[in-house]
Amino acid sequence: MQLTGTYTFKAPRDAVWQAMLDPENIRRCMPGCEEFKTTAEDQYEAVMKAGVGSIKGTFQGKIQLSERQPPSSYRMGVEGGGKPGRVKGSGVLTLTDQGGTTLVAYDGDAQVAGLIASVGQRLLGITARKLIEQFFKTMEKQIPATSA
Amino acid sequence: MIPSAFEYHSPTSVEDALGLLGRFGDDAKLLAGGHSLIPLMKLRLAAPEHLIDLGRVQGLSYIRDEGGAIAIGAMTTHSAVAASELLRSRVAVLAEAAASIGDVQVRNRGTIGGSLAHADPGADLPGVMLALNAELVARGASGTRTIAAADFFTDLLSTALEPNEVLTEIRIPVLPANTGSTYLKFANQASGYAIVGIAAVVTVSGATVADARVGVSGVGETASRASGTEQALRGQPANADAVKRAAQQAADGIEPLGDIHASAEYRSHLVRVFAERALNTALGRAQGRG
Ligand SMILES: Cc1cc2nc3c(=O)[nH]c(=O)nc-3n(C[C@H](O)[C@H](O)[C@H](O)COP(=O)(O)OP(=O)(O)OC[C@H]3O[C@@H](n4cnc5c(N)ncnc54)[C@H](O)[C@@H]3O)c2cc1C
Repeated sequence: MQLTGTYTFKAPRDAVWQAMLDPENIRRCMPGCEEFKTTAEDQYEAVMKAGVGSIKGTFQGKIQLSERQPPSSYRMGVEGGGKPGRVKGSGVLTLTDQGGTTLVAYDGDAQVAGLIASVGQRLLGITARKLIEQFFKTMEKQIPATSA
Repeated sequence: MIPSAFEYHSPTSVEDALGLLGRFGDDAKLLAGGHSLIPLMKLRLAAPEHLIDLGRVQGLSYIRDEGGAIAIGAMTTHSAVAASELLRSRVAVLAEAAASIGDVQVRNRGTIGGSLAHADPGADLPGVMLALNAELVARGASGTRTIAAADFFTDLLSTALEPNEVLTEIRIPVLPANTGSTYLKFANQASGYAIVGIAAVVTVSGATVADARVGVSGVGETASRASGTEQALRGQPANADAVKRAAQQAADGIEPLGDIHASAEYRSHLVRVFAERALNTALGRAQGRG
């Protein structure tokens, strides 16, 4: 499943970069985060109970940040499992300075085991995008300049 | 795939269903036709521990003319809506939308209440409810309340229904004289879900458009009204030129989804094209041209 999208932060790029890579912020912004621990540098383990409408699931997994190119891009890998099945994916997040605001673009690919195409995939994609948007929205609020 | 284990409950009254909802709270889900919920459970995208089947609840399946409104029970199937003489003659847009849903199995099991409560972005009926200014009746432990369609669809797959409420009835206000309506859809070839679905309701007064209402399904995260088009058409001469101009604004204010079936740009384009076609049909019907 291909996952792409953008979100514009009303904050400068350096501030967005700092906020997005801060583990405490990641914990706080992850929708339905129930457990979160740092296992090594740039490596976390988390449990999230999240969903949209009728779609609900508990996921447990590892998050790995890599290929850091401050302040413009990094890769985020996710691997885990939950009731819907195993999920493995990774994507690149790109931060573009737009003079005061920052465009964050994500481009990733996720493999979900046991997906039945017609019903599952259609809703899974939009639900995932919705959760990513929630993550960015909460993240934006963590940046002091924007919450003022 | 096989859903995770759940307990099955089969109440025979709305009161009992509400009692079960109160008892099991977040762990429970109502089951209507099961054509949205069961696929999600099989994929384990939903894993309720208790299923409360509304199938044996008495008196939730009906279509009644109540004078000022047509009342439809929440458990009425898409087939029954599509076949209703009352709806076909008075609210063609709803009967046509129901007839366009999925295939015959889906229409024989799927219900109007289930479709609205699920609020799938590809569902046909939400946009129809918006265009008809329908009212949705919900019953909870503390009583009954009526929710305007415009307030009902709150977000992707989300509605104003509380988790402990049952949607019991849909009320369609009677359309004024000289009104025509239709539903036109560009469907996903495999499932039938709307990529773009336009519900058009047009009222004429002589040679003028007195009112126009356009509901859009399948395009954004939730259904919406094409209010720019509606405004542009009101008070205009009742002809194809005015419709053509107004339809140009049909996608304004909607953030279209993009997926493997249709890109966001393509969806916006289709909204304008289908809005024009649907409005012309509705206008023709309002003018008595069938
Ligand atoms: C192959 C296929 C093709 C389809 N094609 C289309 C299509 O072209 N267009 C379209 O619009 N739909 C389509 N559908 C969906 C179909 O219309 C469903 O039947 C409908 O969306 C859900 O209705 P249901 O009665 O099956 O509800 P269920 O699946 O039983 O329930 C859906 C959700 O609503 C809740 N719910 C149900 N009833 C109530 C109630 N009375 N009060 C409160 N909550 C309630 C349930 O708890 C659940 O969360 C398709 C489905 C399939 C499987």
